[in-house]
Amino acid sequence: MKLSVPMPLRLVLLVLGTTAFYMYLGQIVPQKEAHPPPPVLISAEMTTEDLVAVGAELASGKGQCLVGCHTVGQSGPLRYPDLDGIGARAATQIEELSGLEYLAQSLYEPAAFIVPGFADGMQAIDQPPISLSEDEMKAVIAWLQSLGGTPTVTLDTDLGY
Amino acid sequence: MTRNRILFGIGVLAFISVIVTVRLGGFLVDNEYRQPDRQVAAQEEQGEAELTPRQQGIVDEQAADEAEARARPYEEAEYRAVPFVGSRVTVWVLAQLHLLFAAFVLAVPLFAFIIEFVGYVKKEERYNKLAYEFTKLLSVSFSMTATFGAFLTFGLIILYPKFTNYLMHIFSPTFLPYVLLFFLEALFLYSYYYGWGKFGPKMHLFLGFMLNIVGTAIMFIANAWLTFMMSPGRRDDVDGDGVPDFVSAVSESGALLSLRDAFFNFTWMPINIHRIIANVAFGGSIAAAYAAFRYLQAKTDEEKAHFDWMGYVGNFVAIIAFLPLPFAGYYLAAEIYAFSQTLGIQMMGGTFSWLFVIQAALIGNLFLGANYYLWLGMGRMEGGVHFQKFIKWLLIAIALCFAVWATPRYAISSVSEIAAMGGSSHPQLSYLGQMSAKNTAVNILILSTYMSFLLYRRTGRQSVHPHRQLLTRAQAIVFSSAAALVIFYGVYGYYVDAAIRIRFAIPQVYSVLAALVVITVIDLPLYRNAAQSGETKWGRMPAVSQYALIFIALSFTWLMGLMGYVRSGLRQEWHVYGVILDTSPDAYTPTLGFATQVVSVTVLIFFGLLGVVFWLSSLGGKKDWEPKPVADGRDQLEGGQAT
Repeated sequence: MKLSVPMPLRLVLLVLGTTAFYMYLGQIVPQKEAHPPPPVLISAEMTTEDLVAVGAELASGKGQCLVGCHTVGQSGPLRYPDLDGIGARAATQIEELSGLEYLAQSLYEPAAFIVPGFADGMQAIDQPPISLSEDEMKAVIAWLQSLGGTPTVTLDTDLGY
Repeated sequence: MTRNRILFGIGVLAFISVIVTVRLGGFLVDNEYRQPDRQVAAQEEQGEAELTPRQQGIVDEQAADEAEARARPYEEAEYRAVPFVGSRVTVWVLAQLHLLFAAFVLAVPLFAFIIEFVGYVKKEERYNKLAYEFTKLLSVSFSMTATFGAFLTFGLIILYPKFTNYLMHIFSPTFLPYVLLFFLEALFLYSYYYGWGKFGPKMHLFLGFMLNIVGTAIMFIANAWLTFMMSPGRRDDVDGDGVPDFVSAVSESGALLSLRDAFFNFTWMPINIHRIIANVAFGGSIAAAYAAFRYLQAKTDEEKAHFDWMGYVGNFVAIIAFLPLPFAGYYLAAEIYAFSQTLGIQMMGGTFSWLFVIQAALIGNLFLGANYYLWLGMGRMEGGVHFQKFIKWLLIAIALCFAVWATPRYAISSVSEIAAMGGSSHPQLSYLGQMSAKNTAVNILILSTYMSFLLYRRTGRQSVHPHRQLLTRAQAIVFSSAAALVIFYGVYGYYVDAAIRIRFAIPQVYSVLAALVVITVIDLPLYRNAAQSGETKWGRMPAVSQYALIFIALSFTWLMGLMGYVRSGLRQEWHVYGVILDTSPDAYTPTLGFATQVVSVTVLIFFGLLGVVFWLSSLGGKKDWEPKPVADGRDQLEGGQAT
């Protein structure tokens, strides 16, 4: 005996089945809720080591450095330069700039110097939507200096911006 | 007659019973138990009854509430909540439903006008009839669009009062033109629909033209509001150094600096272009789904032939618009990157990157569905067998491209699988997850689908052009060259730096676009006045082909819902990106699983409402109600009352 499914029922099944299939695809991919980055507290008595820790937190959170842009210790086709060793490399990138000055310039004026082989694209992270404060910028620079170099930045350091 | 009276009597009794029950219930609820105390009864008579402790409590509570309300100062609410669902999901669903109906209402007049124009030029009545059939769907859909537009507006005012007030502060000068245009659209739409056959052809075409102009203008205004939220600024070479600068439309605190910059912002034109093309593709697919619905219901061969043809045209419109859509998508994505790398990276490499794997599955299904329908359509014509041998190769090409496009760069893996692979990306397959492979796959998909369409167009026809062999070879060379260029840049992209690789998408896109244009330009004279080797048998399509059309419409709708989510969700915790922060409890990006649930529910509601639109539209073709004639020759009205 041939089982005949009425046309309206077929339509309903098609609509429900297709929608359920696409919804299922949405369930099997990695699930992550993205919350706004929590506020990072920087107090006046923080040492350079403290700033390095805060900077690392900012890099993967509010600062968005490691959210799809830069990497640390990766090779192959990269979107933006890998930051491994930047603490040592910074002083040699531009002849007339010290390591600290180079790092400050790359955060405040990222278009001023583009690492060969990469495209211009980074935005100044003291501006919206990232809007890091001056102290937060110092923390990020301290963290960058720690990648292959010796961090020197304190909250009293004048970045020149 | 007696039976009707009994039924009427039962109805009256039931109505009285309901009234009595309600009144009795109300009486019992309103009258509490009182002690049978003579003194109380006497006091009640004198109007000095003492309140029971419970009554006193209620009175005190009311007095306290009133005093508190009077003492409370007026405060403007920033957000209001919707129980269970939440305010964000409420506005999300309302906006998406409004947008889906609006897209349909904007798209249908566009191709109805073109079809009517073709009929006018060719002097063929069937085109006119087809255009009218499409337009029938507009009336109810227009009401749905307006209804959901009103729901959305009230939803925003009630749930996001402060932010809505801010948008009004920025865009209030655009509101009056918007309303006037909306009024004009209603005027042109109804005169276009109801004036069919009442006006001369030129006048009617003018109405259709104006309807499209006004509809597009409305969309452009609304697009300014939503794109401002994503990119509140314009690109212009302010300092004259030849390099475009970012010109913010608002100050850091959000105060308006320039309405012009807010309106003509970074993503306004890309969204305009993307939406026009996507609306036509979506509208064509929905109209094809309507034709499929009517085809499946059709009783006569004539009806089947008509709706088969309508489904074919609707699908044709959808596919033709769908082919350039990825290019419009690239343009939009490029402008998003140009406005903000952070926003662009969030989209393609951050929170939303997995969404594009789902998008790949949807687009792959759309290509498969569209090609499948075209291949089945070859069966309409005698001589179709000749080309069917190519179908398996096209299917292989499409399936391979689909697989490449849906391959993520980072696989969903268990800890042991990650350990075995040496990382979260597969050592070989992850190469297919990169943009070089994906750009190549989508361009080959487009070329393959275009090839399916060319084969369909040639089925049952033979060119009589004197240079047919030369022209056909020229087409083959153009096609192969475009495919070779696409593959070359796809492979070469792995050997160059990122900065150069990104630019390879441009020659890939241009080579495919050029191939589509050149091949079409050659094909038109090549098959003009072609000899027919067999008759086209409209209405002979198997039922499965019609379900394929409905599947395509469903996939389009779901895709629009998903991409609407990513466009809006990209702003993350910002109402206006970089300017106005969202401080509501919903200021976070939900999981993709949750987002797809909301999209699915929206699609189901839309299709439920679409069923109503289809049903109401199909009533137009039914015979008018007529009174039943009785034996003595007089008409009899329903209910037994004779005239």
